[in-house]
Amino acid sequence: MAYAANAVTPDRQRAELVALSAPAVAFTLAMIAFPVVYTVWLGFHAFSSTGTQSFVGLGNYSKLVADNEFWHGLWVTLALYVLSLVLQLLLGTWLALLLFHAKRLPGVVRSLFISPFMMPPVVAGLMWLVILDPSIGAANYILQRMGLPPSDWLASPIWVIPTVAMIDTWQWAPYVALIILGGLQSLPPSVYEAAQIDGASAFKTFRRITLPLLLPTIVTATILRSVDLLRFFDIIYITTQGGPGNASNTLNIYGFRVGFEFFNIGYASALMLTLTAIVFGVVLAFNRLRGAVAW
Amino acid sequence: MAAISIRNVVKRYGNLTVVPDLSLEIADHEFVVFVGPSGCGKSTLLRIIAGLEPITSGDLFIGDKRVNGVPAAQRDIAMVFQDYALYPHMRVYDNMAFALELRGMSRPEIDARVRQAAALLHIEAYLDRKPKELSGGQRQRVAMGRAIVRNPKVFLFDEPLSNLDAKLRAQVRAEIKSLSQQLKTTMVFVTHDQIEAMTMADKIVVLQGGIVQQYDTPEAVYERPANQFVAGFIGSPTMNFFPVELRGEVATFLNGATAPLDAALRARLKSAAGSGVVGVRPEHFEVVPSGASGIAVQIKLVEPLGSDTLIHFEIAATPAIARVDPSLKPKVGERVFLLPKADKIHLFDAATGRILP
Repeated sequence: MAYAANAVTPDRQRAELVALSAPAVAFTLAMIAFPVVYTVWLGFHAFSSTGTQSFVGLGNYSKLVADNEFWHGLWVTLALYVLSLVLQLLLGTWLALLLFHAKRLPGVVRSLFISPFMMPPVVAGLMWLVILDPSIGAANYILQRMGLPPSDWLASPIWVIPTVAMIDTWQWAPYVALIILGGLQSLPPSVYEAAQIDGASAFKTFRRITLPLLLPTIVTATILRSVDLLRFFDIIYITTQGGPGNASNTLNIYGFRVGFEFFNIGYASALMLTLTAIVFGVVLAFNRLRGAVAW
Repeated sequence: MAAISIRNVVKRYGNLTVVPDLSLEIADHEFVVFVGPSGCGKSTLLRIIAGLEPITSGDLFIGDKRVNGVPAAQRDIAMVFQDYALYPHMRVYDNMAFALELRGMSRPEIDARVRQAAALLHIEAYLDRKPKELSGGQRQRVAMGRAIVRNPKVFLFDEPLSNLDAKLRAQVRAEIKSLSQQLKTTMVFVTHDQIEAMTMADKIVVLQGGIVQQYDTPEAVYERPANQFVAGFIGSPTMNFFPVELRGEVATFLNGATAPLDAALRARLKSAAGSGVVGVRPEHFEVVPSGASGIAVQIKLVEPLGSDTLIHFEIAATPAIARVDPSLKPKVGERVFLLPKADKIHLFDAATGRILP
């Protein structure tokens, strides 16, 4: 009888479920949903310098379509994204293979290899700013010692994107390597023994076995880096602030300047929501790809 | 097709010696099973033959060729792994075709070989599937198919049935046996399951501590085990062992209980300085009427298996099992008289475990 009296009815169970999950739901709404909804709301409004607001509907978005600076920012963002991503995946995979096969490498050396991504972006940006300084930087000194002409690096409208991509690759390729190393370590060893018996050379084993088996991991790394790279901000803000001219003015930098330098919050929100949509689109596309290459 | 000759092979990992000094001759077309408990060196030996483990010292010949330093791919062997080791990202067809592609074989020839092997193993319907879309038994067949297409001199199987359920294991066991008869290739099969060893092998190598305990036909290993280890390892339930001493005309067990002995066994025991370990398989006990010359035992446990019934009892505080006719309907607590078949009693040296003549 005591058991029957204490038995949990479905209604009571439902009430408990609601009561227990309510704080988490409220917190999520406050921390995630509210800022997103508020940004969407901002994107439909224009704000005057006196602080008055007016509903403009899709006005900010139609302005964006006609804005050359937006299209330039999108181009810079995509160029930087593709270049950095390719470099980071190639170097990251190479570094992961190196760490995987060099099993006798001391732990300190391994940690050093993967340490750059642990460095705060401000420190990394300032460090590279000094290294790449056209007059006093070590980079040009090395080029000149090698008999090569010096470069303007971050001050050159042509070289600024490759240079920023290089800095970001220096910092984040080890992170990609760490993810791929995890993937390599989880591959079944007997498959390699089977390939050995089948007569696969080291190159064939890599191309026909390792690489296809690593693809899901590589796609995961791609997704993680895509989210960061498409929202490229910190290194550029520290090193070039979008310059020279607007040569490195990514969408994120452009949106920041529109919002916080020109105080056009409504238009900046529309820009950021567009960038968010691009990030979502890319993540969804790669997510599908991950499903396609899963084994 | 090829014979395998293992001559004084030693395998060490640092200070650990896994195979102390092993020699073995496997004839062409023979189906040999390496059997033994975990850590006995059977898989190491197979991997040595495959070329996946280098030999510390000694020689290995496949056919007439010494293959000590020869890479696995050039030994003309095929191996079926315990976890099948299928390429998970490739279709079944590509799994089977991969080795042939690497050899530079033409597309039509690859296709013919793959389809022929698939037909032999009844996996034609799965050629376009990936391994994850197959059951354990189907993956097993694909792994065998991948080995067959290469038309190797030697097939190596590393516990390939251990991941299958009991029913499927029995089925695949029969299939491998039948395959070996069709392909007429030298096959080396590693298992820790003595039933697999007994049912499949032309010859069994019983290993312990990297040392060959016995190398003979399944019948010989069962009927005439070379030592107490082999006698205990082969056969299920395991052979019963009773340490005894000869006192007068009767065998005396450790706690002083006695049992009658037939003249032949008495003579054998006498020639072994009067002591030894008597071994009797559960199926070699006969239930005899009371008053006959049987040993009186009290049944402790009854296990009906359908075709036979196992009864557990003790002789002189030594636990033992007998396999009896189920029609006897034995009951726990019942007293029965058991008589070991005189010609089926084994006698082992108490110190070395070796069989005594």
